[in-house]
Amino acid sequence: MNSKTSNIGILFFILIGVIPFAAAFIYALLYSFGILGVFNDGFTLKFWESVFSSGEFLSSFGYSALIALVSTVLSVSGALWITLKFKESLDKRFLSFVMYLPLAIPGVVAGFFTFQLLSRGGFFARLSYQLGLISEARQFPDLVNDTYAIGIILAFITMVMPFFVLLFLNVYKNERLEDLGVLAQSLGAKKNQVTTKVFLPILLKKTSILIVLYFIFLLGAYEIPLILGQESPQMLSVLIIREIKQFDLSQISEGYVVAVIYTIVVSISAILLFLPKKGIAHET
Amino acid sequence: MKLKQIQQVFLMLGFSLLLASCGSESKKEDDLQKASWEEIEEKADGTTVNFMMWQGSPVINNYINNYVIPTVKENYNINLEISGGQGPEIVQLVMGEKEAGVTRSQVDMVWINGETFFQLRKIKGLYGPFVKQLPNAEYIDFSDPYINTDFQQPVNYMEAPWSIGQFAMVANSAKIQEPPSNLEELEAYVKEYPGTFTISNDFTGMTLLKSFLAEIGGGPNSLDGEFKEEKYLELSSQLWEYLNRNKQYFWKEGETFPKEQSKMSQLFANGELAIACGFSEGGIEEKVKSGLYPKSTIAYAWDNGTIKNANYLGILDNASNKAGAMQVINFLISPEAQYLKANADGMDANTVLEISRLPEKWKQKFENAQEREYGLKMKDLEAYAIAEPAPEYMIRLYEDFRTKVIEQ
Repeated sequence: MNSKTSNIGILFFILIGVIPFAAAFIYALLYSFGILGVFNDGFTLKFWESVFSSGEFLSSFGYSALIALVSTVLSVSGALWITLKFKESLDKRFLSFVMYLPLAIPGVVAGFFTFQLLSRGGFFARLSYQLGLISEARQFPDLVNDTYAIGIILAFITMVMPFFVLLFLNVYKNERLEDLGVLAQSLGAKKNQVTTKVFLPILLKKTSILIVLYFIFLLGAYEIPLILGQESPQMLSVLIIREIKQFDLSQISEGYVVAVIYTIVVSISAILLFLPKKGIAHET
Repeated sequence: MKLKQIQQVFLMLGFSLLLASCGSESKKEDDLQKASWEEIEEKADGTTVNFMMWQGSPVINNYINNYVIPTVKENYNINLEISGGQGPEIVQLVMGEKEAGVTRSQVDMVWINGETFFQLRKIKGLYGPFVKQLPNAEYIDFSDPYINTDFQQPVNYMEAPWSIGQFAMVANSAKIQEPPSNLEELEAYVKEYPGTFTISNDFTGMTLLKSFLAEIGGGPNSLDGEFKEEKYLELSSQLWEYLNRNKQYFWKEGETFPKEQSKMSQLFANGELAIACGFSEGGIEEKVKSGLYPKSTIAYAWDNGTIKNANYLGILDNASNKAGAMQVINFLISPEAQYLKANADGMDANTVLEISRLPEKWKQKFENAQEREYGLKMKDLEAYAIAEPAPEYMIRLYEDFRTKVIEQ
């Protein structure tokens, strides 16, 4: 391979990928220590202290991680089920179009749709009212802006599950799982043994890195929790933006503290994910 | 050949850096403060003015896009460009530009109220005083305390009033015969009709909390004067106690609160809430006429009074076209522009002009203007007006409402 071409590639990667990211990170870091900012007068640890002492960050982090985990697990399980159950019919053009469609929907739209369908003044609430299932808006179950983040999780699943279905279908074909299944069966495996011992391990192993990346992606999602979330605890990105845009200008640095911690956590997980198992990363 | 490409990349980089440095080159601002109005008009002719304003209401956007923009183009040959942003966004923009040393801002004029005024003054982001130089300022009564004082801070001609309004309560009279008008009645009300009242976690909600705080303080004027920590702590602890005691009867059992006013409006429109509140004397005229709110919607006064305030137009300290901004602001406070803005079927915003000072022709027009069909008039609420307390109250209420009520 031409080494000059790859040099240019690296140059562009640094120019477009690394420098802006590093600059933003350094900016946030300096802001969090009070070195930057019209309202700050020099190095201080007080913003870091107040973020850790308030407990809001930790509850927000835990809340976000839980939502991302539940959404990822449900999406992956659902996608596995759909893939294995309907693999033949998914080959058809129309169905694959239906699966592709949600991938093209931006987060804002998904959040808005979910709100319109599930809120107490939304489509299903109105339908239940017309059908006489409820007599007041208040009786409809609380599905958006709710404590258990049901709306957020449903919206995440709608967006993420189709992606995994397509991914699993691809792996299924590329790894020739059909043939492996036939082979296992001819060697005496039962049908559910083929699924649990052959299909699932291969599908999950081949896609494990993408599953973790999706978890990280959901951890930092913004629009959907903004529209469908509650006021406290909030998901991480919503919390960060709220802190950075707050009225009390002297507290803006706290938002940067949270942003810095979040970036570090995500970067470390990404490095752990990719470094030791370089081989696997390349395989997928 | 590849080497050439690398050279090109660097060349482009260098070029863009050069462009960036040209843009930030500071240019000596001519002293507009001493200029005559004719000189300012001349400077403004043929320029572009960027106006950052809240674009969240169709009637306001309609007024700006279909009336103000074409008229300033026709009368003054000024291209008025609008960008969206309010309160914190404006402050963030100015802070960002100050941090980056930008001397010629992308925004010239802004629509603000006391909260943002306070913050912009704090970071020295506003240009002025300029209002006295505007010819149409003669129609404004600067001895009116609701105009010359913004959140307890003297305006000192650093911002020009654009409209004035009072906060009011809103209720659906088909659902409630006697809506609550003090804290005691509200407590009884939420117990009788649980789930139909809430407070939005935004500017509007905090304004309602200020009225509550004044009531706990013992009267409409109890928050006047400078911010006092002790007084705030004493009154606010009672307020949080009151809210926490009753929030189980609020919307969603007080587990969460709507993020903003537009959400409150939706909840009121779909019947989840039976009580709401809002600026512009409740702001229900347009919402009832457009069918969003039911015809049984009423606006009403709170016994201890509600906040009355003006909103203003300011010019940024690093604005690149101050003369143009002054020309546009002078137009926005002209009798013609203010008259259209006050139209009950349009933007429905009370004028800041003192009618008695206007030329006869405009005096009659204002006096014979069509009145609101559903909403209250500002005059009806006159006896219930409270001046905006110092901005620190707002900042503290924001913070504490989150930590002491929402997160509890």
